[in-house]
Amino acid sequence: MALSPVVTHTAESVQQTQQLARAISSPLKNFTSGQTSSSNGTPKLLAAPLVPAPTTIPVTLDLAEQMNDEEKRKYVKGKKLGEGTYAIVFLGHLRSKPSTLVAIKKIKVQKENDQGMAPDAVRELKHLQELQHPNIISLLSVFSSKDQNLNLVLEYLPLGDLEMLIRDTDNVRYGAADIKTWMGMLTRAVWFCHENFVLHRDIKPNNLLIAADGEVKLADFGLARTFADPMTNMTSHVITRWYRPLELLFDAKHYSGAVDVWSVGTVFAELVMRAPYLPGNTDIDQVKLICEAIGTPTEDNWPGVTKLSGYAVPAQHPVRGKDWYEMRFGTVGSDGVDLLMKTLILDPRKRITAHQMLEHRWWHSDPKPTRKQDLPKKDGPSADDKMGADLKRRPGVLDDDRGSKVARKLDFGA
Amino acid sequence: MSRLGGSAISVRHSSGIAASAAAPAPVDQDETCPVCKTTRYFNRDMEFLINPECYHRMCKTCVERIFKDGPNQCPYAGCHKTLRLRGFKSAFFADLTVEREVDIRRRVDAVFNKVEEDFETLDSFNDYLYMVECLTDDLVNGSDESRRKAESQLLEWEAQHKAEIERNRKLARESDETRQRRVAADKDATRQRRQLERQAEADEKVNALRFREEMLDSLQNAEMGRATEAMDRIMLKKRGQQKRDTVMDATAAAAGGLSIRGLREKKTAVVDEKPYDPYGGIVVAPDRIDVAPEKLAGYTNEWVESARTKTEFRAGGYNPDEYLTRVLFEAFSGLGVFISDERVEKGVPTAAAGGGNMDLDEPF
Repeated sequence: MALSPVVTHTAESVQQTQQLARAISSPLKNFTSGQTSSSNGTPKLLAAPLVPAPTTIPVTLDLAEQMNDEEKRKYVKGKKLGEGTYAIVFLGHLRSKPSTLVAIKKIKVQKENDQGMAPDAVRELKHLQELQHPNIISLLSVFSSKDQNLNLVLEYLPLGDLEMLIRDTDNVRYGAADIKTWMGMLTRAVWFCHENFVLHRDIKPNNLLIAADGEVKLADFGLARTFADPMTNMTSHVITRWYRPLELLFDAKHYSGAVDVWSVGTVFAELVMRAPYLPGNTDIDQVKLICEAIGTPTEDNWPGVTKLSGYAVPAQHPVRGKDWYEMRFGTVGSDGVDLLMKTLILDPRKRITAHQMLEHRWWHSDPKPTRKQDLPKKDGPSADDKMGADLKRRPGVLDDDRGSKVARKLDFGA
Repeated sequence: MSRLGGSAISVRHSSGIAASAAAPAPVDQDETCPVCKTTRYFNRDMEFLINPECYHRMCKTCVERIFKDGPNQCPYAGCHKTLRLRGFKSAFFADLTVEREVDIRRRVDAVFNKVEEDFETLDSFNDYLYMVECLTDDLVNGSDESRRKAESQLLEWEAQHKAEIERNRKLARESDETRQRRVAADKDATRQRRQLERQAEADEKVNALRFREEMLDSLQNAEMGRATEAMDRIMLKKRGQQKRDTVMDATAAAAGGLSIRGLREKKTAVVDEKPYDPYGGIVVAPDRIDVAPEKLAGYTNEWVESARTKTEFRAGGYNPDEYLTRVLFEAFSGLGVFISDERVEKGVPTAAAGGGNMDLDEPF
């Protein structure tokens, strides 16, 4: 098919139009649009491309901006999956291949840190960029949109999260083999993070998303950090409370991957019980629950614990023995209970590491883990929204909508 | 049907039982019974029967006479097949070779009753069809030996795939039923539509007539100079009527059943014999540095020592070995990585594929 010269010309002008339009979205925009936008906010310049753009127009984009635009144009933003205080999640797809779906997480510009990007976003970016593993959500691209909003392009995981499966006791049934598969995926993800010197610090069922093929993927690296140097303090205000280990509740400033392992243990227990294992209402309540369920830390079972600045225990409970766990978590077998106990050891130095977890004999004992395509799943619109809800959440907090609404209702001032 | 016709022709050139049974039929084959020599002249409603054992034709009277008291030998000279009364039937085709081939094909089809939907790839379906056709051809035209072989193959297949055959038969019956039902429904719908059309046509005629009358009436009754107004009103009415009609047509056309058939959805073969690998097939052990705890103990400096000894570090679970491993890793990372070798291909895993590819260029 021969193209007429007229057509070529229009195509060219369209390109110029796009360039011009892109020029608008550069940081210089505020300057230009201030002059040109009409009262209803429509930038007048958009109409300008009808006039052939003079070739002398200076290219206002530097190389970085051009690359950013190129990246941005690769994806098409679709419907909104969810919106939170921290981010808006959109469904999107590749422009070149519309069947490839992605989730685009647009970080909101926050008032309190107008000096730069949100620290959560920076953490997420920094670590996801480095980690490529089948059980860790993959970051496909990053670009900034207008007003220098940060957009993270993540792989789209349509089947919701583990929490959804755990909670839906009526419709979803799973057994020891399924738990083993999920735990295997989770442990691998945590092991891979630690092996690459990253602490996730927010492991919970909410953050374990499920891909279309059943693979569980660890998401939300908004609280992640690298292993600290010996003299650096780390904050102890990380990990959602129910999954937080005692050393963080006791305000330790120097900790290790053992904190993630504790979270993995509580998720393991939650998978078996189908209810949060240690659902404390406050930090003090959380310490009490841990002491009751697992045992009170003492100098005997955890040398030096009393020296931690936040050390305070309600009452003395003996550390539970194996038969106590067997009674509650017997469904995963004796080996499974053994692994669970080792992940929930009070002293972080005695606690099993992610690597040692993978060496455990439970993986090889009966029943054999379910193949991932046979795992129970739940699809439908609820799963779709779930990824949106999970990604928009501010890291490290519980999803307690009811409470927040009440609080807002009573908040008359301000 | 060309395939059937083609092999039927080739039968005439081949030898063996098939050919002898199919000796060019005499013109009066329908007139005289080759066994009792009765002619149609004497028995007006003479009926010929055959037995699929040997396809020898004889009249109904002969069949009853010979086989009434149990199995007997075929009366044809040289044919030593034992026949039973039950096996006799009247031939559908005048040419008995065709009759025989059709019988064989029917029998083979009953056993090899897979359909396209049972296959994942077109190639495998084609291979299956080829296999069946070869077997059928052997049965129809083959020499004694190949026929025997094909026969045993058929029986073997039947024995092996008993359950599957039964299932397919049931499915075929069901789909046949639904198809018949659909055809019947279609026919019904067509009939109704035609009736409606006829009705509509008649209505239209009546309407046109009425419009015309109305128009004339109103024109007659209208005052002078208001004729166009009256016309307009009538036309408007007419247009409204038409619009209603088209809407009705559209809703009628929207309904309709549709069934899609084709290859079965692809399912990868289940290979689950491997033992479970907790690591998921990923090895990240550094090969340039030794991070065994006893080796790491050899590295000391003031900070590491304080982390090793102070309770605030020990109680919090801080592990200086993790720090040392990281520092060693960072010291050696990048060595042995050549940019020219490095191909950055970050594939975009689709929602369905789920990111199976990983590029682990661990720079240890």
